[in-house]
Amino acid sequence: MVELLLLVPLVTALLCGVSRTEKAIYVFSVVGSLVAALVAIPYCYQAFFEGPVDTGLWYLDPLSGLFMTVIVVITALVSLYSVEYLKHDRKEGEANLRDLRYYHVLLHLFAFSMLMVVVVDSLGLMWIAVEGTTLVSAFLVGFYKKSEAMEASWKYLIICSVGITLALLGIILLYASSVDALGENADTLDWSVLRSVAGQLDPALLKVSFIFILVGLGTKAGLAPMHTWLPDAHSQAPTPISALLSAVLLNCAMYGVLRVHILASEAVPGFSSSLLMFFGLFSLAIATAFILTSRDLKRFLAFSSVEHMGIIALGFGLGGPLAVFGAVFHVLAHSLTKTLMFFGAGNVIQKYRTREMKDIKGLGKTMPSTAALLVLGGAAIAGSPPFAIFIGELFIISGALAQGEYLVAGIFIALIVVIFAGMTYRIFGMVSGKPQEGLPDGEIGKLRLLPMIVLASAILVLGLFLPEVVSDAMGAVVKLFGVSA
Amino acid sequence: MADLLSIDTINFLAAAILLVSLLVMASTRMGQLVRSFAFQSIMLAAISAVLAHYTGSEHIYIVAVLTLVVKGIIIPRFLMYSIDRLKVRREIEPLVGIPASLLISGGLVIVAYYVTEPLISSAEAVTRNCLAISLAVVFIGMFMMISRRKAMTQMVGLLMMENGLFLGIISTTYGMPLIVEIGIFFDVFMAVLIMGIFAYRINQTFETLDTTFLRRLRG
Repeated sequence: MVELLLLVPLVTALLCGVSRTEKAIYVFSVVGSLVAALVAIPYCYQAFFEGPVDTGLWYLDPLSGLFMTVIVVITALVSLYSVEYLKHDRKEGEANLRDLRYYHVLLHLFAFSMLMVVVVDSLGLMWIAVEGTTLVSAFLVGFYKKSEAMEASWKYLIICSVGITLALLGIILLYASSVDALGENADTLDWSVLRSVAGQLDPALLKVSFIFILVGLGTKAGLAPMHTWLPDAHSQAPTPISALLSAVLLNCAMYGVLRVHILASEAVPGFSSSLLMFFGLFSLAIATAFILTSRDLKRFLAFSSVEHMGIIALGFGLGGPLAVFGAVFHVLAHSLTKTLMFFGAGNVIQKYRTREMKDIKGLGKTMPSTAALLVLGGAAIAGSPPFAIFIGELFIISGALAQGEYLVAGIFIALIVVIFAGMTYRIFGMVSGKPQEGLPDGEIGKLRLLPMIVLASAILVLGLFLPEVVSDAMGAVVKLFGVSA
Repeated sequence: MADLLSIDTINFLAAAILLVSLLVMASTRMGQLVRSFAFQSIMLAAISAVLAHYTGSEHIYIVAVLTLVVKGIIIPRFLMYSIDRLKVRREIEPLVGIPASLLISGGLVIVAYYVTEPLISSAEAVTRNCLAISLAVVFIGMFMMISRRKAMTQMVGLLMMENGLFLGIISTTYGMPLIVEIGIFFDVFMAVLIMGIFAYRINQTFETLDTTFLRRLRG
């Protein structure tokens, strides 16, 4: 009954669409996304611990479980955060009731399309769902209808459509590579079936197929050098949407790459891994340069997403139990931490009415709670202990060393050290100093601190204790990659 | 004998699709561009029909009809309508001149054949040229998106890329599972619609459809 899980966001979108009052929209949106999270729990449990659920059309295994968890959790927090964010926009006259309805309908449709990506078995349907996420979210990126927002959403739409077209070419070639093993009448793109014959797929076709899928979906996952849409879209979208794009959408695209990576590493060992490693390190290097030079707070965070997607790709590319575990863990850690950062940035930007980091000073004085959470999140995102991201990076480094990839480990460490310095410099620059004249002290809302506190506690708990249920679930995901933890 | 005829027809049509792509690179008017795209889609539909006949699988007939209706008729109509309504200037304004564009496109065709060479040596006779041509059409579509400055030409470029892909789909795999194909059609249609809306909005915000004005977000 996976349909139930998909139905919840659809119904929520519908209810938000027909609501007459502002309050009703908020209530439907928050309650709907919480229900979706509750409904998802048994599915995730099943996916992680009771072996794959395969009903033909739907297929849930630990990998789907991991990304499903991220989607429902972050969507619930985003809809909670959106309440006060949009109330503020309403007060400023940036959005009217119609915009509000439009925003929430699209938000839940977006969540629906992303859930689709991770629960369908057929790679063709997955492709359709990925394209669906682009189409829905393009409207969210262009929500403010200013010229910059239009520019960002046009770029997003065009670049990601080209990417996704290339990915489709990859899927076709993948299908062609299975024709020998399955016979011409097999007529299937189901991942579970392809997995069972992965060893017999045509290696030459599969190699080309993986390249196209990596470049195509990698565009959406924000891997350099195909990442150019990402900072624009992230900086122009409403901040809760930026969080959703960065923490969830990029992961959904990565999910598609990983599915094919699993197939490819069985048929042509080493080929897909080395490509993932290359793109991972390259993204990391590009992101480092831009993190150091960006002046806009949200672009800064967007480049940090490029960095972390690079780290995730690197981890999966390295292979081996330690690195893959690190990468799986990093998916979760990055989503939670980046959402926290964007929420913090949302508070700051609405208060200071600017995204320029040099104009944002004295946060510690004007909005102490946000500042405290931002410092916490900033330390976490830069990779300092005892937060979750540190653990992920540590596992990946030890994985690289265990496999004798000393050069990769060296480059990786050097880059994250530079990023660490750049990140902390920027964050502390905003927190300290003297606020501009005439800016009243005080937070711009209490409710929006709640999701931030939840996120901050989550990354702290994950970093300090790593609960057994989490590590077991991660272990189940790691097994899929043909290595045991 | 009938099979030989089918294969010849398919090869002929595939070559024609490639030629249309080259023709598009040489065109200077918006209307010509959209008409060429429509023509290309109709030939794609014809290839699907011949392939359906050749392989005897009925669902490719559905693909042929869908291609004809969606890409051959509805989308070109919609594009023409948008061009009229947005009062797009009729000239194409290439960033790369036409002779150079044609030369580069020719190069891309060679690259496509080179890339697919190891793949198609073992493939069946029908698909041998189609895969290379489909890749070439994809490459040329992509090049068109880079080298032409109007939002509308970028849309046509993307659509042509997708035509190339469809050639690949139907020739190498004799059609993916039908539900997937229908889904893809639906997505292409939606994408065009949505891009049309955005093109309209860009037109309103910038009073131009020239995407070189979209250069504010940097760094």
